[in-house]
Amino acid sequence: MTTSTTAAGRPRSGRTLSRWLLAAAVLLLTAIVLLPVAIIAFTAFKPTAEINAFPPTLMPTGWTLANFTRIFTDLPFGRLFLNSFLFAGGVTLFALAFDSLAAYALARLDFRGNRFILVAIVASLMIPFQATLIPVYQLVAQLGWVNTFAGLIIPRAADAFGIFFLRQFFVSLPRDLDNAARIDGASEFRVFRSIILPNAVPALLTLAIFTFVNNWNDLLWPLVFTTTPDMGTITSGLTLLTGPGGIIPYGTMMAGSLIAVLPLAVMFLIMQRRFIESVATTGLK
Amino acid sequence: MTATTRERAPYRAPAPLGGRPLRRRGLAAKAFLFMLPALVILVAFVFWPMASALRLSFTNASGFGIEEWVGLSNYARIFTDQRILATLGNTALYTVLFTPTALVAALALALLLNNRLLIARGFFRTALFLPFVVSLAVAAFAWTYLLDPQVGLLTYWLRALGIQIGNVLQDPVLAMPTVVAVAIWKSFGFYMVIFIAGLQEIPESLYEAATIDGAGPWRRFTHVTLPQLSNTLAFVVIFAMIAALQAFDQIYVMTGGGPYRSTQSVVMELYQEGFKKLDLGMASALSYVLLAATLILSLIQFRFFGRREKDTL
Amino acid sequence: MKKLLATLAVSAVGTALALTGCSNSSTAADTSGPVTLTFWHGYTEADGKVLDQIVADFNKSQDKIKITTTTKPWAVIGDTLLTSLSAKNGPDIVALPAENLPVYASKGALQKLDDYYSSSAQNASLNPRAVEMEKIGGDYYGVPTGFVPLSVVYNKTLFQKAGIAAFPTTWDEWVADAKKLTVGADSGTPQQYGLALPDHATVGNGVWASLFYGNGGAIVDGNKSVLDSQANQQTLAYWAKAVHDGKISPTGLDGIASDKLFSSGKAAMEIGGPWMASVAKENNIDYGIAAIPAGPKGPAASAIGISAAVTSQADAAKKAAAEKFFDYFFSKDNATKWSLGSGWPALRTDVPSSAVSSNPVVASLTDIVGTARPLLPGVADSTDVLTAVDEATQKALSGGDPAALLKTASQSVQQALGK
Repeated sequence: MTTSTTAAGRPRSGRTLSRWLLAAAVLLLTAIVLLPVAIIAFTAFKPTAEINAFPPTLMPTGWTLANFTRIFTDLPFGRLFLNSFLFAGGVTLFALAFDSLAAYALARLDFRGNRFILVAIVASLMIPFQATLIPVYQLVAQLGWVNTFAGLIIPRAADAFGIFFLRQFFVSLPRDLDNAARIDGASEFRVFRSIILPNAVPALLTLAIFTFVNNWNDLLWPLVFTTTPDMGTITSGLTLLTGPGGIIPYGTMMAGSLIAVLPLAVMFLIMQRRFIESVATTGLK
Repeated sequence: MTATTRERAPYRAPAPLGGRPLRRRGLAAKAFLFMLPALVILVAFVFWPMASALRLSFTNASGFGIEEWVGLSNYARIFTDQRILATLGNTALYTVLFTPTALVAALALALLLNNRLLIARGFFRTALFLPFVVSLAVAAFAWTYLLDPQVGLLTYWLRALGIQIGNVLQDPVLAMPTVVAVAIWKSFGFYMVIFIAGLQEIPESLYEAATIDGAGPWRRFTHVTLPQLSNTLAFVVIFAMIAALQAFDQIYVMTGGGPYRSTQSVVMELYQEGFKKLDLGMASALSYVLLAATLILSLIQFRFFGRREKDTL
Repeated sequence: MKKLLATLAVSAVGTALALTGCSNSSTAADTSGPVTLTFWHGYTEADGKVLDQIVADFNKSQDKIKITTTTKPWAVIGDTLLTSLSAKNGPDIVALPAENLPVYASKGALQKLDDYYSSSAQNASLNPRAVEMEKIGGDYYGVPTGFVPLSVVYNKTLFQKAGIAAFPTTWDEWVADAKKLTVGADSGTPQQYGLALPDHATVGNGVWASLFYGNGGAIVDGNKSVLDSQANQQTLAYWAKAVHDGKISPTGLDGIASDKLFSSGKAAMEIGGPWMASVAKENNIDYGIAAIPAGPKGPAASAIGISAAVTSQADAAKKAAAEKFFDYFFSKDNATKWSLGSGWPALRTDVPSSAVSSNPVVASLTDIVGTARPLLPGVADSTDVLTAVDEATQKALSGGDPAALLKTASQSVQQALGK
């Protein structure tokens, strides 16, 4: 089995020292990058007085679970979690299916108007969503989709970003692959399904992660398209936890975010392995 | 089968049997079927709202019924009002600071984390991806917790070492770089993952051939990695630039556009015009000015990247 | 292939329909049943429960009107009201921070309530200063649900350590005490500040308005900017000097950073809202709440105000129903109940502090509610006005020339008013 390497070459015996130096350097870098994340995690276990205390602390001196209990008592947390999964998962599934189909046509089928559609799709990325939010909302409201999963998911069931992203990957796969299959009489859909998709697993996974994370963390979208608390997501639900005078109870918010982030982190840990495996198992390289 | 040559596929691939075989009968119909689901969604929820915003940009609509045609006066105001012109400048500064830095950081880390010499790559990849996963409001809290000039943890530590960093988020010169730094921290992980996915696609054989030809690490990078990564690179450059031109969330939560509007971006202004002052006409006009600017910058970029990139789009 | 694609398309549409099916079609036919209204408010704490209870009691008191409340934080109401109303899918009654009322009114999102004010028996007893918030261009667009003067919360432990027995009552005493409470001013970066004085994005945007009022100044007078008055120049110079030379407060603070500084015990005083009492408690600070010390022209404070308004999507029957609820809400019993529940002074002038003595904070705020003035009543473009004020105060506290800064800011304010 071969896995790909970069320009840095392959491991050799006698390179043990450089391996450890490299690991130490990356570890240091990671520690710096993760400092804010550590703040979030530790704050979740601090009582309010300690979060605001001076001098500030990194680790809690008086660990508490009070922030976590408040989440479960003040919010329908299980329901919000489920909603987040349905919303982010639903958008991801639809978007992967629709985006990859469209990207296939744009990358592999040299039809008239290809270039025009591609440019239009890329151009649509260039308008900030705040500018189109109101027309989109009006349409969703006309369809009677406010406070429904349809209203949350369908407007995002395909997106320009995903189409453009997958198209860039599909375009760089060797053409001999699908042309050979076509000569053997394979239909376009078969080429798409059996040749392009299996070879684009890293790209599909990347897009899946991106779409899932973005929707999971999206605040304004669920706030605008749902008005009842039981249709909210974790991210939108956490905004309901404001303290006196609208002051955010940071401990509780960090606790909620910590719980919200865990599934994403685990998902990524599992998926990033597939980046390596996918290349090895396609047998292409 | 083995793909021995993996040149970046040109837009119109050389045909194995001569001619231009990909333009076959019924191809447009097939392509249309493939694109149908996505096009239905995009037309309804992206293109139609865009057209709607374009129409609004010539009105003084508030969203509650009042709506009069005002011609180009919203656009005229954008290009005559110094305060609004300044937001275009701020956005440009943000983009210039953000795009190259984020790209170089992400590519460097992707190469580092794709290096087989490195142990525990899965752990490091996940750890460095984490900032992308946490929500921005939460990240903003963590950064203020670190950077607060009086009670911040980082300022406290640095003070103990005799270093004063001052009030970076309230300094008209330093606020923008600080916001950009936080934005890069937040998003490099995603670009890094795209690069890793791209690096995985590069066949080992090319590196082997280059090594046999006597190429060192730098030559392998410039002659194999970069050309093979060009599609990915083109995508990431465009996308990072678009993200930078639409900078909003990180500014909204970190500085609110201040101090003295020095971090007020176009989309911050758009949000205020639309959602605070209820002037949808002005907000829509701003969004189309931004769209035009982004288009122009993209075209320049394709020029800059040269002919090879031009035919990827 | 076509078959597969077709299947995919059909299943997508099918799923969409199935998902739509889940929608609880809330379009109850308004035929014979009671008039139903939705009411959005941002009272997310215990206050919200009291308000919801008053609404529930109102629903029970009669059978013609039914009001459903939805609680959303104020910021969320601000972000979602426009979209929801643009599709006539929003609330019929909405509570808003008072400075947001004029812009919604001037853009046609709210209905005039002049008839309510001319017919209701209750409004004669309402605090006239609070009612002032509702007047935009000569018409009334809302009713007050909250009106409270900004006050000073202070750290008693730090006051004792500095040997200060009584809370200051004039600006000069205030600054003198703040200096006593500032530890390590000589080093340039004190370890403890006497006061957390925000210079932009202050609590309720009212800190500087309060100080300007105290010296007889104001931000606007009707449709005219009076920001660069002599009085305001003196005020800004006075406080810039206290901060710059006396180091009584750090610069560059906003409202949130000031809260943090006070909560950490690094600042002995802060100008804040009534909720600072519970914030102080949460952070184990032995606190007191007092009126903002009187300026040269007497005691004054900017108020934090909340208004409830009837939106443009409500029909005549709903509007009439909303007005019935307002009447119920303003009855003396409910006004007292709401005052105690919200922790804010009663909106009626005939509910004295003795009636709310069970909550000492409310009682003390009730005593000073007479000094409170609404912030920018009737000003539609309050966003630009407040940004201009913030820029002047922040620059002045970091060393700029107050007179010149106020002059520039005043021009921006005038421009915003003229729009």
